[in-house]
Amino acid sequence: MASVSESSAVKGKVYPSAQAALEGIFDGASVLVAGWSGRGEPEKLLRGLAGTGVGDLTLICQGAWVQEAGKFGIAELVAGGQVKKMVSPLPFHPETGGPVKDLWQSGKLELEIVPQGVLAERLRAGGAGIGGVFLPTGVGTRFAEGKEVRQFDGKDHVLESALKADFALLRARAADTLGNLVYEGTGRNWNPIMATAAAVTVAEVDLVGEPGSIDPESVITQAIFIDRLVLAD
Amino acid sequence: MPGTPLDPAAMARRAAQELFSGAVAALGPGLPRRLPSQLPASGGVWFLADGGAVGIQGPESDTNAVDADGNTVGLLSGGAFTGVVEIAGILRGGHTDLAFLQPAQVAANGDFVHWTTAATPGLFAPGPAVDMAYGSSRVVALMPHQSQQGRSNIVERCGLPVDGAGQIDIIITDVAVMTVGPAGLELLELAPGWTVDEVTAITDAPLTVSSDLKEMTFDVPVLKPPDKIYPTAVDALRDVPEGATINVDGFAGPGGMAHYLMVGLRDLGVKGLKLISNTAGVARVSGFGTPNIIDHSILVENNQVAKATASYPVSPSASRPSAFEEAYKRGETELEVVPQGTLAERLRCGGAGVAAFYTPTGAGTLLAEGKEARTIDGKEYILEMGLRADFCIIRGHKADTLGNVVYKGTSRNFNPVMATTAKITVVEVDEIVAPGQLGPEEIVTPGLYIDRIVVRPSDFSAYL
Amino acid sequence: MTSLAGKERLPREVVAMRVAKELPDGAYVNLGIGIPTLVSSFVPEGRTVFYHSESGILNCGPIAEEGEEDIDLINAGGQYLQSVGGMSFFDSAEAFAMIRGGHVDVTVLGSHQVSATGDLANWMLPQRGVGNVGGAMDLATGARGVIVAMEHTDRNGEPKIVQECTFPLTGKGCVYLIVTDLAVIECDGQGLTLKEVAPGWTPEEVQQLTGAKLTISPDVGEFEL
Repeated sequence: MASVSESSAVKGKVYPSAQAALEGIFDGASVLVAGWSGRGEPEKLLRGLAGTGVGDLTLICQGAWVQEAGKFGIAELVAGGQVKKMVSPLPFHPETGGPVKDLWQSGKLELEIVPQGVLAERLRAGGAGIGGVFLPTGVGTRFAEGKEVRQFDGKDHVLESALKADFALLRARAADTLGNLVYEGTGRNWNPIMATAAAVTVAEVDLVGEPGSIDPESVITQAIFIDRLVLAD
Repeated sequence: MPGTPLDPAAMARRAAQELFSGAVAALGPGLPRRLPSQLPASGGVWFLADGGAVGIQGPESDTNAVDADGNTVGLLSGGAFTGVVEIAGILRGGHTDLAFLQPAQVAANGDFVHWTTAATPGLFAPGPAVDMAYGSSRVVALMPHQSQQGRSNIVERCGLPVDGAGQIDIIITDVAVMTVGPAGLELLELAPGWTVDEVTAITDAPLTVSSDLKEMTFDVPVLKPPDKIYPTAVDALRDVPEGATINVDGFAGPGGMAHYLMVGLRDLGVKGLKLISNTAGVARVSGFGTPNIIDHSILVENNQVAKATASYPVSPSASRPSAFEEAYKRGETELEVVPQGTLAERLRCGGAGVAAFYTPTGAGTLLAEGKEARTIDGKEYILEMGLRADFCIIRGHKADTLGNVVYKGTSRNFNPVMATTAKITVVEVDEIVAPGQLGPEEIVTPGLYIDRIVVRPSDFSAYL
Repeated sequence: MTSLAGKERLPREVVAMRVAKELPDGAYVNLGIGIPTLVSSFVPEGRTVFYHSESGILNCGPIAEEGEEDIDLINAGGQYLQSVGGMSFFDSAEAFAMIRGGHVDVTVLGSHQVSATGDLANWMLPQRGVGNVGGAMDLATGARGVIVAMEHTDRNGEPKIVQECTFPLTGKGCVYLIVTDLAVIECDGQGLTLKEVAPGWTPEEVQQLTGAKLTISPDVGEFEL
């Protein structure tokens, strides 16, 4: 077996800048963004995305709840007008609002609401090559409208479709150069599932080590799902 | 003159009375977040954070765990981190006993509108509330009885699009406790200082008063982690009934197979078992250099197996048939062959509350016969069903006393998937450790999936 | 056919070597049992390939030395592996999410039969009445590319490349390249094109041992190693 460090394919996963790691992004692209309600977002990649100037983006994410001075998150990206649509279970804090709410109310941003677990399962289906799943969630509500409902074991289930995107922007604690990732605490959240469901996956990480620097039992996102890495500021 | 409404801490203490030892409870945004602080961190209950934590505690600064509101919280010693999709599976898969939600409105028929939905008129965004409501065995609405404008939050019919149809089982407000039944709402408890008439006057739905009407109390229950450790394999499997469906792991070789539990099952002699397993016992007749290893064959030879559902049921070589193949050829057992990835996915779906799924695997082959075929985006798929079992015997490396499990190398394989699918899951490990000895990032199977733990005795041999 | 039966064919190692040439640098590859297992020994210098196995490991190390076997470190073929930096372990649902989700670039499988349209039949011999499907169907359907590495004919000298499979199918139209001990054949879903032949063999002789019509590529040549 050839030594790992000799291979250009391996070295190629670490990119020098966010801009470089986002090469190929285009107007109208769908982008998965990890993070939890404004925390643990891939800030450098989101800044980089803003810097590319692409527009009409569809963001699929948890939401933009928390805004903090000096941070650049989903809320700030949306405020810049590059986003056409957000698919999210709870796009902004219901009481404190923010730019997502403002733009939505002024008709400049489209919002599609998906129950959180349904979104997670649709992404998993997309990433795992499943064509659709029958879920019990949301039967009898607006979330089931227009969808096939079928009984299994006497209980109604809704057919939900698989979901995939063009890019995934992730935030992890550490990577090895092959692209294996580990997270910290609930910073894991959407990352591992989004990693599976995009054509190009980019992870922003605090540390990059040599292969072997991460215990093989502890790897949460396996290298096969990761295309590009960039070091966080 | 009515009494004053309860403060949120008192409401949380009353809500905590719904918990029981070993319960798994999902906490939605808002008031439910206040529950963990009212209880000692005994490990007697698993609180779920939808962002990916099992075993959250009350608010705590400088931690790496956040709750449904995005605030930092503590983690139980023995708690574990996981992802959003795994939490969704814990919710949907029947593993969650209780969900605590803060609806803005609950109707007499159990419909509800979540407060996050009501706070975003025209948008209706419920976050995790829909998943929590539909997935949990019992749904507790923890909410103010009236809105800030003085309107009743308890109504005959919801005025906004609902986030759950008929999902609420019990309503705990700042003035009363009501249950939702087929006949509507029943008033069970009143806050101190409140009368039936006063509560009825501020409720926009008919209330039936319980013959056992009480005053609300605020003592929290003493919750203890259930004792999951069993002395022997036979003790842990004694109640396996005849004809039970059992998940048995073992990829094929000597690693990751619960040999000690298999022997226990053999010694109990229970018949008519339906095994769900990657193989039906081929370790003795194939590779790995393990001709005398204990595998499923000991159960087949003891006439205990009525059916196998497997991807690799027989020996790779027809000239060296396994015990199962011989029994199958004699017509003594049934066989369902399932592609390995479909088997894994059917188990994952069974455990995660996905009733059925469309997979491309096997489309147009013998194994698609009798199954619905469907073209999605130009690709052919077949419909496969989630799989569940009565019992599951798996092999871990270490467990803590709360049931958290870690595995070793490729011996992980089907074990963590199967652990999610059975009514009773029994794990065989090399060692049991105290909670906290397995780190929250390291745990692969969270303890809420594990019912019984058995240590493989140090003098036990996996060979015949 | 009998006149060709005794004629020397390429050893399994050479078939594996020829397949190895097809694996792109940086590819994620799953190797089936039999000749495919040998492929990892022949990946060209300077090229890195990451091996995935259904047993729940990515970036498999080389086969373990005798006496160094670890029962918790195996591949799907039941071989014991060495521990290497950068490997990772995961469960079966994840292992197959990788396969079915299109994350595995190439799988190399053995087969009983391959048809003119790239159908694969490798999991069951009808005469046995029972078979092991294992992960083959998921691989055939889910991997981005399926290469078949096998002997050109079966033990009785019957062609394994056929117009239509008579054995139960593993996957329809999934094979894009067949490498045998006699030939390299491309498969575009419509038909088969003979690209290379074993040294000493003519395209016509290969056609004689093939149960489906081969289009002879204009630049057909000897095995390129």
